[in-house]
Amino acid sequence: MQCANMLLRKIVRSSVLPFAAQHGMKKDLFPLSRTLSLSLCLKQEKSCEPSEKLDLDEWKKVMKSGLQEDVSETVSEPKDLSSLAAARETLEMWRLAGRAVPENISEDELKTFMECTSKSAKKKYLKYLHVKELHKKNDKRKKRERRLEAQNEASNTDETKKSSFVYLSSSTMDKTYNWRAAQSMIFGQPLVFDMSYEKEMSIREVTNAVRQLVLSESCNRRSVDPFHIHFCNFKDDSLYHREFIKQYRGAWGKLLITATDQCYTEIFPKDKLIYLTADSPKVMKTFEHDKIYIVGSMVDKSIKRGVSLARAKRLGLETAALPLEKYLLWSTGAKNLTLDQMMHILLTLKDTADWRKALEFVPKRKYCGFVNKPVKELKKTLDLINTLKLGKGREEAENRFAKNHPKRYKIK
Amino acid sequence: VQPPEKPLQAEEWNKLREGFQLPEIFEEVMLNSMIRCNSPIDVAKSLLTDLAKRDGDIAYNVLVKYLTLCVQQGQVSEIRDVYDIMKARFKSLESGAYSLLIKGLSNSDQWRLALTLLEEVKKVMIPSRTCYESCIKAASHHQEMKLAFELYKEMLAKDVVPTLDVLQSFFNFSRGMKGAELQKELFGVLLYLRENQIYPHKTFMRSIKLWFESIPGENWRGHLTNIKDSGQCPVCKRQLEDSSLTEEEYSNLSERIIRDVIHGADTFRKTSPKEFEAFQTFVENRLPFDIVIDGLNVSHIKSRRMQCENLFDAINYLAKENARLLVLGRKHMLVNSSNWKREIMKEMQNKADFFFAENISEDDAFLLYATLRSGKHCRFVTRDFLRDHKACLSDSLTRHLFRKWQRGHQIAFSSSAEGRSINFSSIFSQQPALRYDCVVQTTGDTWHIPYKDVFEEKYSYEVPRKWLCIQQK
Repeated sequence: MQCANMLLRKIVRSSVLPFAAQHGMKKDLFPLSRTLSLSLCLKQEKSCEPSEKLDLDEWKKVMKSGLQEDVSETVSEPKDLSSLAAARETLEMWRLAGRAVPENISEDELKTFMECTSKSAKKKYLKYLHVKELHKKNDKRKKRERRLEAQNEASNTDETKKSSFVYLSSSTMDKTYNWRAAQSMIFGQPLVFDMSYEKEMSIREVTNAVRQLVLSESCNRRSVDPFHIHFCNFKDDSLYHREFIKQYRGAWGKLLITATDQCYTEIFPKDKLIYLTADSPKVMKTFEHDKIYIVGSMVDKSIKRGVSLARAKRLGLETAALPLEKYLLWSTGAKNLTLDQMMHILLTLKDTADWRKALEFVPKRKYCGFVNKPVKELKKTLDLINTLKLGKGREEAENRFAKNHPKRYKIK
Repeated sequence: VQPPEKPLQAEEWNKLREGFQLPEIFEEVMLNSMIRCNSPIDVAKSLLTDLAKRDGDIAYNVLVKYLTLCVQQGQVSEIRDVYDIMKARFKSLESGAYSLLIKGLSNSDQWRLALTLLEEVKKVMIPSRTCYESCIKAASHHQEMKLAFELYKEMLAKDVVPTLDVLQSFFNFSRGMKGAELQKELFGVLLYLRENQIYPHKTFMRSIKLWFESIPGENWRGHLTNIKDSGQCPVCKRQLEDSSLTEEEYSNLSERIIRDVIHGADTFRKTSPKEFEAFQTFVENRLPFDIVIDGLNVSHIKSRRMQCENLFDAINYLAKENARLLVLGRKHMLVNSSNWKREIMKEMQNKADFFFAENISEDDAFLLYATLRSGKHCRFVTRDFLRDHKACLSDSLTRHLFRKWQRGHQIAFSSSAEGRSINFSSIFSQQPALRYDCVVQTTGDTWHIPYKDVFEEKYSYEVPRKWLCIQQK
């Protein structure tokens, strides 16, 4: 019965409404006349429904009645907005539509947004700004909460603060760290960051690279036996430079590192240099204290394989990759690590020469666990398990295993 | 949440809202599930009425959701009303609402309004291809072919790629219409298919056939057929276009491969200048080759056998025809190991020329270079699809040339499961002897159009084998 009703209603609507629309004429001039004719026909069909009092089109009246004042306003405004204002308007509408768009956007950001060449680039940029805004808001809220908490606690525990604990102020710690870093500048093992990849990176990537370098520098400074950090091929007024100043502000000039526009090959003997790159065919066995390791200051979000390997090849330098495969059962993700992870790993290697400890700094999501047997053995077992799983019969799998075992094992 | 089946009163909505864990997004969630269940529009209306009575306003995103429901059910008058309200309420709309409105209105007798909306969208951004699709379909549905083609050209000028549906609609709606101008436009669409190497699917092909046969007074007849390996059409006995590149195309392609694939941004990435130079002199001194073999790729045909045995079989097989062979490999093959026996390597080197690249160099780039330098007759053997090398080429035109050349010159192989022999055939499920080009083509009084049997996209390296032959009697 209800189905038939619905069907009837559909027929009525599709046949009557176009008719009404054609004859309702010039609705723009008389917006209400149409609504009236519409609600009229709706009332007819509602007569067979229990909820008789409900006027389904009332929301339209509400929306239109609230408008009267607004309309006069919009008319008086100049029609042709500048492109910036138009973009701002589009953003506002996107925000209302519930898309990932920042609430506030600066003039510069708006310009960057308009310079994005494709729709997806625009979307990505807006999402980035949106997430940034959210983080900022959350940080502010957390800070406020913490401050309130601290105030509460301070009023509660005024006494204990005057305890006789030896208290190290952060400035004392800073002095210690700086002392160590200064010593490393004279006696420390050099570690080179190759700053010649600006051309291969987008602005975002350079910003990220500099952030990672700042993190690396700070963890180096806090370590027991820091490296002497060299930024080689570092050009004044490059994008890197500007980003560093943004990050460090005044501290940039006082940093205990060596920044030079010279290449590492000009500063150090070539046979002492080892370029670390994930693409290297050679795998690092031990950390050597008399070698100078080079790390490329590059964040590579788009896949540009072999860029740093090509650089090392051009200069005729020795290369090496971390023995990730040897120690970790790799699961997903690229084998290139961030600069600060590299720094942590190298520092740990330098202090302990323990690969397991050092490779703890590889993100956990990238590997399943540490390898306790030689990889070859493990792969064999894995293969056996897989064949058994596939249900090809135990015997056959065992035969194959036995057949493979004495011979070489092929890794696909 | 399950949407109610009938319109609800305010109190009933209130009750539902209170029962919901996040009351502030109740309307959104409810409308979303209405869209999913395709609920009757009156239910949504009652929700909006309740909302309007409570707040005196309805948020933009809620309106858009309601609009989605209206468009989904083709409620044209409602779409109109929502549009009027939105236009009065907001200075401009965003792309989502615009495309909904365009989609909704283009299917109705108010389709001209959709065109005005398209103009409005253009002021702020490039309209999406679905917006264009709706408008073009609406225009051709109402026999305004000229307008439809104007929109189509505008779309192409803005680098918006038309959907196959749009192209098909041109043929569907022009059926039985006369006019030299219209005919020219439709031939233009066919040439667009040719230039972009797009293959129509079966229903699209049928639209093309029916259109041709419907042109009054021209007497076109279409037949479905398979083209023989010789390249002759069994229906009209015409010879299809040659698959080989023209001199100009050929030299263009070799130049671009050397520039973009081998050197790229940095010669050191794939090889080194010294090595490449050595390779060049090696090749120039021994030109021309008939077949260039990717040694390492071939050596992996059968995983249970020694790698050098596999390569040995392949070389023996290919050397039969007295062809000049070049095998590319890496230096590690020369080191005596369990997989590479020195004696066998020696024997192979008597039958073919070998070039060994550094272990960290990419031999594929050398493969392409040697084949192209040897001339048009030269073919190459690898199972690799060479997709990463195609990607290095900077423009789509050169990429198409590369594909065309690859189709005509690559020999692939598969190992038969039991026997010892290796089957050599082309990778593209067609014989290497395939000499004709697989694109839409015409001679004026005939058209040959390759088509896909199934709607789904085939792999880019596969070409259709079925053709539509159209001739004028």
